Amino acid sequence: MRRLPQSPRKGAAITVELDGEPIPAIEGEPVACSLLAAGETVFARSVKYHRPRGPTCFESSCSNCLMRVDGAPNQFTCQVPARAGMRLERQNAFPSAKMDVFASIDWLFPKGLDHHEMFAGVPVAENVMAKVARHLAGLGLFPKTEADPRPALEVIRIPVCIVGAGAAGLAASSVLSDASVAHWVVEQDAHVGGRFSLRDPAASKDWKAGPGATVALRTQVVGLYVDAEGKFLLALTGGTRQRLVKIYARSYLLAAGGHSPLLPFENNDLPGIFTAHAAAVLLRREGLLPGSAVAIVGESDAVDETKRLCDQFGVNTVLALGTEGSRVDGGIVRAHGPTHVRGITVTVGAGSKKRVDCDAIVVAMPPSARFELARQGGARVAFSERHRGFVVEANEDGVTQVPDIFVAGDVTGPKSFEQARAQGAAAAKHVVARSEQVGAMR
Amino acid sequence: MSRKAIVCACEDVTVADLETAVARGHRDVESIKRYTGFGTGVCQGKSCLSTVGRFLCDRKVQSADGVSPFTPRPPLFPTELSLYATLPVAEKQADVGGVPLSLRISQPALKPKSPVRSRADVVIIGGGIMGLALAYNLAQRGIKDVLVLEKGYLCAGASGRNGGGVRMQWGTASNISLAKRSIDLMKRFARDLGINIWLRQGGYLFLARSAAVAEKMERATKLHHQHGVKTELMSPDAARDVVPEMSFKDIKLCAFNPEDGVIFPWPFLWGYAQGATKLGVGIETFTSVTGFEVSEGRIRKVRTDRGDIACETVVLAAGAWSPEIAKLVDVKLPNEPHRHEILSTEPLKPFLGPLVSILDTGLYFSQSMRGEIVGGMGNPFEPAGLELGSSSNFLARFSRALTEQLPQAGRVKVLRQWAGAYDVTPDNNPILGRTPGLPNLLQMSGFVGHGFMMAPAVAERMAAWMAEGCGTSDELFTRFTLDRFKSGKLEREDMIIG
Repeated sequence: MRRLPQSPRKGAAITVELDGEPIPAIEGEPVACSLLAAGETVFARSVKYHRPRGPTCFESSCSNCLMRVDGAPNQFTCQVPARAGMRLERQNAFPSAKMDVFASIDWLFPKGLDHHEMFAGVPVAENVMAKVARHLAGLGLFPKTEADPRPALEVIRIPVCIVGAGAAGLAASSVLSDASVAHWVVEQDAHVGGRFSLRDPAASKDWKAGPGATVALRTQVVGLYVDAEGKFLLALTGGTRQRLVKIYARSYLLAAGGHSPLLPFENNDLPGIFTAHAAAVLLRREGLLPGSAVAIVGESDAVDETKRLCDQFGVNTVLALGTEGSRVDGGIVRAHGPTHVRGITVTVGAGSKKRVDCDAIVVAMPPSARFELARQGGARVAFSERHRGFVVEANEDGVTQVPDIFVAGDVTGPKSFEQARAQGAAAAKHVVARSEQVGAMR
Repeated sequence: MSRKAIVCACEDVTVADLETAVARGHRDVESIKRYTGFGTGVCQGKSCLSTVGRFLCDRKVQSADGVSPFTPRPPLFPTELSLYATLPVAEKQADVGGVPLSLRISQPALKPKSPVRSRADVVIIGGGIMGLALAYNLAQRGIKDVLVLEKGYLCAGASGRNGGGVRMQWGTASNISLAKRSIDLMKRFARDLGINIWLRQGGYLFLARSAAVAEKMERATKLHHQHGVKTELMSPDAARDVVPEMSFKDIKLCAFNPEDGVIFPWPFLWGYAQGATKLGVGIETFTSVTGFEVSEGRIRKVRTDRGDIACETVVLAAGAWSPEIAKLVDVKLPNEPHRHEILSTEPLKPFLGPLVSILDTGLYFSQSMRGEIVGGMGNPFEPAGLELGSSSNFLARFSRALTEQLPQAGRVKVLRQWAGAYDVTPDNNPILGRTPGLPNLLQMSGFVGHGFMMAPAVAERMAAWMAEGCGTSDELFTRFTLDRFKSGKLEREDMIIG
């Protein structure tokens, strides 16, 4: 993978260590980018079939980029910033990720391996399998050292907590600020703006939360719990010096957006396959070309958007195939390549297939909702046939069946920028009304 | 959709695996998650769940309203135990609250539309390990007109929520012999029932901190030797060889039986269910018991939300839900449900042989076949109730206790926490046998969170006892009857952990 010549230098040139070998990197960039730029594409081997794995989503929503970093197992290298001397190790790879002997499991059992029934009750084989399975399973190693002392827990009490600083969350924050309702905005990314900021960086440069809001970037939510004091959001914050924060709010406005769903085509897990979000992160933020010949597949609108992005950066797009939403597989037959994408076969027209050579595939799909937090808080989640995914049940204004849980944006189904902003603002108005009520009761 | 396509990249689950699960009768998201393992990896279902939803809808396995996401268990992002250890511990208090706020084990949309059959010789209430193992054993003895009723999916109750520990180190002769027999049956389970349960005999290492607990351990060990269990009392120094990573600070005495171990709980249920079904037993999931028809001192019919079933014998094997069901027929059971929480970490390469437990605090942890650290710790202040949510206070208590014993575990990340119900009786022993005043209602509950490991042996003996007419052929079914609580002669089991 090449770095874009025109991209601005992000940090100092440093060296990290991958399985003992030096790799050039740029300080502060996600270390996965350093590895990709250095031509390293296989980051690990998968748990069962020892298939090659490489970065896919660039939003810590999959497990394909996990590595052992400085002795800690299963770190998201798509998030961990590169640091001079950092030690990276591939996991589950024997003797090496490029030439893994256990990958033979994958081709020895072309129909897959049914671990429930395989060798069940066959004397000797059964016992041997149990021993082998135990050693094949597991990712990473038990750490050899203790954790550094952790910063103390932070406890916040605030009228409102917004989760997600995308279009919906920011619009909501602005309404709350206008009504002088104090609030926190929790965002997993290092930037505000969500997925629309990656679409239009120029316009999004001025996007921000409402005046007075506390914005916690690089903050991952862990859960929405209840204790003797009431409902609280538990979150992981603080970047490299992680700490837990407990946020007790009277209302929660959940606008966490969505993540890319997986399309089920053969070899859909090959390194070199990226989500549209990942492609946007690589091109816009990290100055990396996803490939020198890129195939874009998925749902029509999302494919068009990614195509425009690729054109803007001069990416050589060899295929842009969008299908309407009802197709599960996006018209893709299979991806080709031993340990990295070398081509893709798609269906074109009635039953005819076409193979296209490429070294990267971008799968562009509408986001699937991050509904988990709302569900933990007691809101209902249903499978929407229209959106072909799970969505939080709420009215148009984002009011759920739970009095203190409001939702907006992609969590109620994929939204346009304007729709997301409108729902965020509408939900925030209900939150303001509730804050006045709750305030009056106290 | 290619059969080889990966649906869950964390666990290498393919479309073909989903098809196999459906072919084996798993049609709801929770069951398919358990059968295939999809959604149980580091990403916790972020990339796979909607894909599975689409698969179920497109293949018409479920209607859209029957496709619900599996319970989104905290943490939503892998979180190190050392971070949880910064949470304050609410000492001497119940672990208040739990997420999700409403668990929906029994969903109306998943209820089969057809009525249940109108007659069966034996109706077993509860499709957990007890009920399914009994159904299989009855069918093997020729009693095949058996119907098992389960209000949720298989594995929805405690049988699907336990840590998978199996041990012979018990405190009473009855429990030792049951557990020994169970482990023998587990060794041949795959041969008998065609499904792997991944028994790994890495031993149980019990630790004692106080002199009183050490004494209890010594007593129990003597009893183990009398019953042929090779428990070895060890100094902390000697036990260090068994688990080199562990701190033995303040530990007075250890007891180790290398023949104890861990199994993977879910296939156990599927194995018994498949075995029983093949022999003609009916299993109805998503079906709730709503009442009973009683006349002349006998249950005549079991009423369900899918119709009535006339029957000769009813077995109550609903675990922690048994008292609720018994109440429907005016029988008062002394069992109380108690929430016990548990968690599972990221999978790691093998490093921990035995299941380790501190007998003083109830902390236990082991490494599963898949490599996860699985562990829990009971809270003696937990009130009775069927609350099955996950609390943050448990995380605080458990992470502190675990990292005290296994300091490097502070850098290991938690992937999932959940809870199950211990079915607690006043003497920590089960309730078995006939019900006074209602002789065709047979009891099979009250296993205090440890029924899973007892089930193979208990079911085998109960089936034999039932085949012989529920008389006095087996002392198990006269010793542990419901009326013992009236007579007041109770033999207490105190090797209870978790």
